[in-house]
Amino acid sequence: MKFITPRKNAVAAVESLRLGSISEIASNSAKIYRFNKEPIIVVHTETGQFKAFSARCTHLGCVVQYTTEGIPRFKCNCHQSEFDLNGNNIAGPAPLPLPPLRVTLQDSSIVVSKV
Amino acid sequence: MKSDSGSGLYKWLDERLPVREVVDYLSKKVVPRHKHSFWYYLGGLTLFFFVIQIITGLLLSIYYKPSPDEAYESVRTIVNEVPFGWLIRSLHSWAANLMVGALFIHMFSVFLMKSYRKPRELMWVSGVLLLFLILGFGFTGYLLPWDTMAYFATLIGTEIPKTVPIIGDWGVSLLKGGDEIGAETLTRMYSIHIIILPLITIMAVSFHLLVNQVLGSSVPIGTVVKQPPIRFFPNFLYRDVISWTIGLIALLGLAILLPWGLGEKADPLASAPVGIKPEWYFLPLFQSLKFAPSNIFGISGELLTNLLVGVLSIVWLSIPFLDRKASREEQSPLFTTFGILLILYLLVTITMAYTTA
Repeated sequence: MKFITPRKNAVAAVESLRLGSISEIASNSAKIYRFNKEPIIVVHTETGQFKAFSARCTHLGCVVQYTTEGIPRFKCNCHQSEFDLNGNNIAGPAPLPLPPLRVTLQDSSIVVSKV
Repeated sequence: MKSDSGSGLYKWLDERLPVREVVDYLSKKVVPRHKHSFWYYLGGLTLFFFVIQIITGLLLSIYYKPSPDEAYESVRTIVNEVPFGWLIRSLHSWAANLMVGALFIHMFSVFLMKSYRKPRELMWVSGVLLLFLILGFGFTGYLLPWDTMAYFATLIGTEIPKTVPIIGDWGVSLLKGGDEIGAETLTRMYSIHIIILPLITIMAVSFHLLVNQVLGSSVPIGTVVKQPPIRFFPNFLYRDVISWTIGLIALLGLAILLPWGLGEKADPLASAPVGIKPEWYFLPLFQSLKFAPSNIFGISGELLTNLLVGVLSIVWLSIPFLDRKASREEQSPLFTTFGILLILYLLVTITMAYTTA
């Protein structure tokens, strides 16, 4: 059994990461980045806030997308789970909210860190 | 036929192996003939598509490269550059679907004719195990082209065991070969698809056929047999060959007229595409996961769906041991109703998955 059990990841996880310039994400849009090998979604809201969450749907792990059809929200196309811009569940079978990340803006750059 | 007669090769073999006994046995074997005999050919047809899978799979393995950097390009090379590569891949993909379709029809016809009843319990058990193995082929083979649909279907499929208590996370990690769908997942799926599953399946098919040869075909309870049985060799086998020919024509038609497509290369950072669906035979599970609310009396919907599927699988495997009436050659309408309801559920969920967003 040990032979077929995957080895532990040898790469240490980072606590925070500088993603790029705030100009990369237009208002009312989102972009997906990689943080500690996991996809995260960073949204630039209509009100000018930057928010970041794990992009993995808490149902079965598909990568969510940001949609502005109707109210702006995150949507998973696999089983139609939906989350509001605070990551809370608003529709579908996902059992938990999207895990949030802390966003800070430093010298016009977006920096995300673990909460 | 005596051992001192026949061709030189026959005589040579007969002196070393029980060839005469096998030939005598096959020449005496008969198959019952009645109004439901048609369904006997679906098992052979399933086997025929399985043989096509082995041949086309071996040919594809000559060019396929199981790594995230090369898998997609190697499939694209097979489709666009290798002579008849598109046809071999299309045959492999279409034959997989036809094989699962023939298997489902075979299984439900066996179920409704109660052919699982004593003394054929082991035929049913080995047949259900073959169903799981064939579904395993479908699941492990789906990732290999490394396109978007393959990536997300595998992502969903490998996450499903996570709700199982105690071993769930370990099971997910074992399937993925790590924390995410990547190189380790692809090599694991490839190894399972081309080595582990074929070895187990060939053994299970051999056992299934051996039991069939020993016990023969079952006549449904209450069916009046008015016609004499037909000889297995050559009469039944001849009809089998006709069904295989029809299957081959259908397969070639589908593979040529509707060549199997290849989507965009998988991008782990892309959102799951709109309208993503697995292959049709996984749609009942896919749709059931969609139906299930996130929580039911404090239990997660996923866990409940997994539990139901697990219990249903065990019940399905145990049918011959549960349906005691059929083993006494009595009608068992409760089991017939259960089978019909299951068929309806599968058909309704598949239709819903295709027609709803």
